[in-house]
Amino acid sequence: MITLLLDSSNKNLSVALARDNQVFAKKDYEAWQQQSEWMIPEIDGLLKAANLTTKEIANIVVAIGPGSYTGVRIAVTIAKIMAFLIEAKLYKVSSLAVLADHNLPTICLANARSNRSYFAVYQGVEAIVEDTIISNDEVMAYIEAHQNYAVAGEASYLGLTSIQSNRFDAMLRFIDEKHEVKDLLALKPIYLKD
Amino acid sequence: MTYTFTSHNKQTTRELGVFLAKFLVPGDVLTLTGDLGAGKTTLTQGLAHGLKITDRVISPTFNIMKCYFKAEKPLFHIDAYRLEDANKDIGLEEFIGTEGIAVIEWPMYIKEFLPQEVLKINLVHAGGDERIITISGDNAHYDEIVGQVRGAF
Repeated sequence: MITLLLDSSNKNLSVALARDNQVFAKKDYEAWQQQSEWMIPEIDGLLKAANLTTKEIANIVVAIGPGSYTGVRIAVTIAKIMAFLIEAKLYKVSSLAVLADHNLPTICLANARSNRSYFAVYQGVEAIVEDTIISNDEVMAYIEAHQNYAVAGEASYLGLTSIQSNRFDAMLRFIDEKHEVKDLLALKPIYLKD
Repeated sequence: MTYTFTSHNKQTTRELGVFLAKFLVPGDVLTLTGDLGAGKTTLTQGLAHGLKITDRVISPTFNIMKCYFKAEKPLFHIDAYRLEDANKDIGLEEFIGTEGIAVIEWPMYIKEFLPQEVLKINLVHAGGDERIITISGDNAHYDEIVGQVRGAF
């Protein structure tokens, strides 16, 4: 049973294949604003290297945002079309949730520009604070008040260091009834600014 | 600092663009104003040439933005003309003042996305191929560029 994992919601292009909940092939690198060029070739490359075809993909997990305006649309569009064509099951996850540590409460961050951040707090798959957009000052105050929480995401824009997240393992934890997309065509990315 | 000079032909306008490529850095924002045919695209083509961009550069009036990553420094060319009275929330803030040089035509339509300090170039028809070009900047970095232009044009 093959699962395809896709995320292009922020700076990285992230594509992986898993078999029985074990990631066995992945590409994850910074490709800011160029994910649309590379996501399909990377999917194709991973499948070919593993001697697989798209027909063998049973599940697709996609990070739907919040994040970059274009970025959140790329993976969602590709995931929807693939799930539709190959009749795979589609699961959606928050782009912030995939940054969280499995065991620690984690403050998950992404740069929303204009002194704002996409912000959420997760512990594993459970949201302690749901995805939102807040000012960077509010983020810093929250971190100050929760010093035992981990910080994840590309947080250098706030002058912070962050934990190394394993986004693919995190995405696999969202394959459940609650995160299954029942109406494929109705799935929309999450941008939060509009 | 503000400097005004007359460009007597299209080539000079283009050379101004080539010249600016030496001094502009990622994160800089250059706004271009002037009527149709005043030379905004010509200047941008010169800048692109100076940045070693080999793709064809035309004004992105219909697609609003074109990004050139295969360049000495990335160039984001924005034409905001069609954003007058439109939904402007299309992620432009991810490009303006970030990882590349942003060149913005019709900047008045996206004022809310512009930083306080920008390098401004205004081009005015002065008969035939002549253009009166005014370049102004309002911080030390842009002043330095205006000074360089004054020395060379």
